Amino acid sequence: MTEKTNKIERPLSPHLQVYRLPLTALLSISHRISGIALILGAIFISIWFIAAVAGEEYYTLLMDFSQGWIGTLMIFGWSVALFYHLCNGIRHLLWDVGVGLNKCGACKGNTIVILATIILTAGIWFYTSENAPDLVDVNAIEITDDEKEEGEE
Amino acid sequence: MAKFTLPKGSKVKKGKRVDATHKDSTNTKSFKVYRWDPEDETNPRLDEYVLDLDDCGPMVLDALIHIKDNVDSSLTFRRSCREGICGSCAMNIDGRNTLACLKPINEVKSDVKITPLPHMPVVKDLVPDLSHAYAQYESIEPWMKTDSPAPTRERLQSQTDAQMLNGNDGKGPAACILCFCCTTSCPSYWWNPEKFMGPAVLLNAWRWITDTRDEATDERLDQLEDPFKLYRCHTIMNCTNSCPKDLNPAQSISEIKKLMAERHS
Repeated sequence: MTEKTNKIERPLSPHLQVYRLPLTALLSISHRISGIALILGAIFISIWFIAAVAGEEYYTLLMDFSQGWIGTLMIFGWSVALFYHLCNGIRHLLWDVGVGLNKCGACKGNTIVILATIILTAGIWFYTSENAPDLVDVNAIEITDDEKEEGEE
Repeated sequence: MAKFTLPKGSKVKKGKRVDATHKDSTNTKSFKVYRWDPEDETNPRLDEYVLDLDDCGPMVLDALIHIKDNVDSSLTFRRSCREGICGSCAMNIDGRNTLACLKPINEVKSDVKITPLPHMPVVKDLVPDLSHAYAQYESIEPWMKTDSPAPTRERLQSQTDAQMLNGNDGKGPAACILCFCCTTSCPSYWWNPEKFMGPAVLLNAWRWITDTRDEATDERLDQLEDPFKLYRCHTIMNCTNSCPKDLNPAQSISEIKKLMAERHS
């Protein structure tokens, strides 16, 4: 009997296929995904520095890309990842000392982390859009004389 | 490396549909139940049973018993106490692990999908093979270990000390019924069942570590000092979210981690 049952190849019961992951679990996997995204972002920043050192031609190329819609979308994604990873990271630190480590605390934490991510992301984009004209001007002045004249007018 | 998909032979196929309602049934519900028979040598399938809820009791276990008694006697599942204390009828219902006897049918809005506890070898239908999890439980030596000579009567505890085991609401680690809902809900356990102890076993490890009468605390901590056994827990919280007894395995694991950190400092 035992010998026979051992030979049977038993199926593995469904897991990810059926499990309705609670929000806490979704945020947990998001923490990992955002962490990976941030590593890619760090590589992108390194490329940025290299381009700056490599000269104006490369730097302009990179700036054009960054200000295009794909680049903007990527940077937006990284800003979300940064703030999400930061907020959720703080939550993990609190969990590690036992704060909010229960069903109710996790639910509240979920809301706080999501809200904080939205507020911080919106805040930084609002802040940079308010301050963007200065940044653009610096480039513009160096690139064309026409725009320099416009600026003086 | 974690394998997110099911092996070929484990993929769930569509099964038969059995309508067990009457002509005048108004209160009907569909139950989609995981079926696998070792003698069939085919893939598992999802059979659908349409029941008249007026025929059976209010809980999912009542529906399963109704199916077995009146519709399809080949349906296999574990059950015993029908009141949430034996832990036998642990299964995945509507995407979450719980005890069938404690899960009201009307809490499930759509069809009731029932599968065995996740990521476990299946013995038959809704019966998972828990021998590995039991072996892990045994490995933490879940019994009182003492060096001091046995007193003439019981080893006593203060109420405060007992509270570490029972909690102030009766939901401390000692209330675990070993249904393994938590362990089989844990993605970390899905991907590392051989090396990670899983929440149920760790909760019970903590139950003995924190027992003031037990004298093997250091030995117990030594045994868990390992990159996988304890530290594969990444606070995903599925354990605490799924526990049908409302216990908090995540907190027990965190307490062990804290003790480990204190030992190192």
